[in-house]
Amino acid sequence: MSEQVISSEQAQLERGYRRILACYPRSFRRDNEGEILAVLLDAATEGQVRVGLAEAWDLIRGGVRMRLWPAVPRPRAVRAAVTLMLAGAAAELAALLTTIATLGSVRAAVAARDTAAVHAVLVHQVAVMAGAPVAVGLWLWLAWANGRGEDWARLVSVFCFLLMSLSVIGVLAQNAVALAPANMIAAAVVWILGLSSVALIFTPAAGRYYRPQAARQ
Amino acid sequence: MQEATFLILTALADGSQHGYGIITEVRQISGGRVNLRAGTLYTALDRLRADGLIGVDREEIVDGRLRRYYRLTPDGTAVLAEEAARLHANATAALRRLNPRLAGGAA
Repeated sequence: MSEQVISSEQAQLERGYRRILACYPRSFRRDNEGEILAVLLDAATEGQVRVGLAEAWDLIRGGVRMRLWPAVPRPRAVRAAVTLMLAGAAAELAALLTTIATLGSVRAAVAARDTAAVHAVLVHQVAVMAGAPVAVGLWLWLAWANGRGEDWARLVSVFCFLLMSLSVIGVLAQNAVALAPANMIAAAVVWILGLSSVALIFTPAAGRYYRPQAARQ
Repeated sequence: MQEATFLILTALADGSQHGYGIITEVRQISGGRVNLRAGTLYTALDRLRADGLIGVDREEIVDGRLRRYYRLTPDGTAVLAEEAARLHANATAALRRLNPRLAGGAA
């Protein structure tokens, strides 16, 4: 086999590896792609022109893992805040499912006791069904962004927490008659989750984690 | 600690190694049982670097490509020693229970 054939085979294999390496985060590729390519080509069998299934799977898995769980050591406060935010998403989801499941029965029970409250209950149920999916999305998004140490995520978190506090107060003021004790407890739990996660991301230990990210931009 | 991580740290215990060197060392240490693939290796190296257990020793250019040598940091040495001692204690206990004659020669 001439040297030219070998080099064209290697170029083809290298292109294949490069395509798969695109699933790694850009910052990681900038720093490591050449090095990984060298290792991959060293480990390739003679005359290999295509990326094997098992090694492709291994590379893709590594890339996905690196994107989902970047290897930045997160301070305990940030890890705890992310967990609380995921719990917030779970709580909103639970509230949504409970509301949907008890839609008719709650309305019937309220109507039997106090017909004037039916309208308020209806408003509350619609508000939960419209708002909860958005809230679940926001909690997940903020958990992800805070976990990555994005500095803007802290400001957005505070903003969302203030909005949530206002809406809790608003609901209590307007619709208190429509709220069962369970609603109150659920709102309190979600509010406390918000308060504690915001408090955690503003601790000094967490602050050190956010700052270098901002400086990197 | 996962076995791959333990073996990577072990491969670096007696000197720095580059990526492909770690793969061959790990294969040798494990008696041919563990064949690290590049994706697994670099995900692990990335994490170990972030955790401060390994560092870059030096970089060379070979055939126009970057070759990075990794070494254990003092933290990495301590963590590997601790894990090795733990595994050793577990293995010793297992062997002692499997074969009472290993306990001290008294049959």
